[in-house]
Amino acid sequence: MASIPTALPTKIGEASIWKSRHVWLGSQNLAWNCRRLRWHFVIRSSNGNSSDSSKNPLVPVEKNLRESCQGSFGSLKATVHVLLPVVTSVRTRFCSKFAMMVYVTFAIFIIIARKIMLKRENHVNQGSIADLVRRGQLKSNRRGIAKTSLYDNPFNNAFVKIDEENSTAQMFGKVYRLAPTTLTKEQQLTHQERRAQAYQWKRPKVFLKEGDPIPPDVDPDLVRWIPPNHPFASTSSDINEESFKNNVYQKDGVPFRVRAEHEALQKKLEALQDEPKIKELAVNLKNPEEFEEPKLQQIELNETKKADEKIDKGLKSSNEKS
Amino acid sequence: MPSLVLPTAYFSTKLSHRHHSTIPSATHSRRPHLAGDPPRTVVITSGKGGVGKTTATANLSASLARLGFRVTSIDADAGLRNLDLLLGLENRIHYTASEVFSGECRLDQALVRDRRFNNLRLLCLSKPRSKLPLSFGSKTITYLVDALKTLEPLNPVQFILIDCPAGVDAGFVTAIAPADEAILVTTPDITALRDADRVAGLLECDGIKDIKIIVNRVRADLVRGEDMMSPLDVQEMLGLPLLGAIPEDAEVIRSTNRGSPLVLNDPPAPAGIAFEQAAWRLVEGDTMTAVALEEADRPAKKGFGWFSFFGL
Ligand SMILES: Nc1ncnc2c1ncn2[C@@H]1O[C@H](COP(=O)(O)OP(=O)(O)O)[C@@H](O)[C@H]1O
Ligand SMILES: [Mg+2]
Repeated sequence: MASIPTALPTKIGEASIWKSRHVWLGSQNLAWNCRRLRWHFVIRSSNGNSSDSSKNPLVPVEKNLRESCQGSFGSLKATVHVLLPVVTSVRTRFCSKFAMMVYVTFAIFIIIARKIMLKRENHVNQGSIADLVRRGQLKSNRRGIAKTSLYDNPFNNAFVKIDEENSTAQMFGKVYRLAPTTLTKEQQLTHQERRAQAYQWKRPKVFLKEGDPIPPDVDPDLVRWIPPNHPFASTSSDINEESFKNNVYQKDGVPFRVRAEHEALQKKLEALQDEPKIKELAVNLKNPEEFEEPKLQQIELNETKKADEKIDKGLKSSNEKS
Repeated sequence: MPSLVLPTAYFSTKLSHRHHSTIPSATHSRRPHLAGDPPRTVVITSGKGGVGKTTATANLSASLARLGFRVTSIDADAGLRNLDLLLGLENRIHYTASEVFSGECRLDQALVRDRRFNNLRLLCLSKPRSKLPLSFGSKTITYLVDALKTLEPLNPVQFILIDCPAGVDAGFVTAIAPADEAILVTTPDITALRDADRVAGLLECDGIKDIKIIVNRVRADLVRGEDMMSPLDVQEMLGLPLLGAIPEDAEVIRSTNRGSPLVLNDPPAPAGIAFEQAAWRLVEGDTMTAVALEEADRPAKKGFGWFSFFGL
């Protein structure tokens, strides 16, 4: 800051401007202009040209800037002069400071409300990173459902109009020419034949691990070899096809593995029935309603699983004790 | 609103079709008629990765569900699953088909119901960090889809959309196994087209002859400048009917962030409307009869020559 007066003591540090800047700080525009001006001089003074300002080619530009600054400032002054009588007339008419205050507060309130509304609206349609945060992908767990539009005919709505007679379509305010497609059935068939000759393929029906022998009833052409380190597929399975099918087609009741685990647990418990502590637990577990409910909800399932785990742990610790 | 000022909007439309020749107010509430025998099993595939299969699956699913059809979408991209993200259902997946196979849960428990449309379900094949058991070959998924079809006899599913993984590996083989028809997604560039042609060949070898193409990420300005193939060129190269032409649209990524398919945007985005048109054609077993092209030689309005000179 100190470099400003030394750079151009009279031209920039001109009393009227600086004074006025302090007086009229309220006008952001003006303050900004002056700041730009100051910035300019700091750069200049560092160039070492400050002492010889009259010969400097930059001076006219600065002068212009200064004038424009003064100009805008002058126009502002003029506006204020024009406004003053209005204000006084308003004052004399209402004669009430209170009324003025109410109006001003009301105006400010409206402005703030509008800003908030705009912000909200923006947020709904933005699809920005904020939405990822909202979705719990980036920290935070808040979730919400986005606003969705109602159904509209996609061929005829406020944004899309199709003019069949002129072969034009108006979409999102732009006019497009409609070019008819020309593909015929014959062309389609020619392409099919071309492809049939180029790609002769049979879809593999059996997946085998690389290195495994081909079962006798399997056509080697229909085998897809899956390497053991395949990133997302494996050929190992601990169930046979029959139970696999049962699992997939099961519509109600307890899932196969959950039931199996439960039964195994119950057998374990029965074997340990003599111990009094476990007895209580067994009574709880035997409660049949939990498992015979036709539509087990996922949460309930999770809960029973957790309970199972707890009991498992309990069993282990009691085993260790005994 | 950026979607409205997009200069590249490129549209798929139908020329002489019955449903937009009627009065606008009537067509607004009109629903397309379901062609073919439900449940229709459609695989969305491409060969090349990153061309928009998952985007197309999510948007078609949401469109069909909004039209009132019972839809189940299967994310068969076991390795790089992300249909759940596009539908915004990622936090609600507790079970996948893998758990159904092993008997840890029932099929109905692995279906994630969408909160916006309760006729839309999502089924993922496996958890991201676990392997999909394929010990029964393609039967793994044919049993699964068959079970889906008979799961609710009173409200049978009408559309099963399968989001296929890229490539022609085990994942592809599995995903196409239960399908009766296919949607081939491609971008208008030569690499994607070669893969698309190959995949179309494989599908046809497997007996799936009903293949339609969606040309995605079309930029009308590039098409106009002859720097990009138009959907008509793509159609000519592949010799397959067009289901839709989707413009390149920045709203696609925003809707991905939101977890809400683009077709549900309000106000609509160009790509969203194009997807919705494709969904409509899919339902009616229809294809595009005309493609909207940007005017090549738009008559310059008098007095505005200077503006175009300055690129305004
Ligand atoms: N019409 C489009 N305009 C702009 N970006 C798109 C469009 N379609 C897809 N994308 C972007 O391309 C990327 C890949 O899309 P995705 O659907 O995941 O491809 P795929 O499932 O085929 O691998 C995504 O980042 C998506 O946002
Ligand atoms: Mg994908």
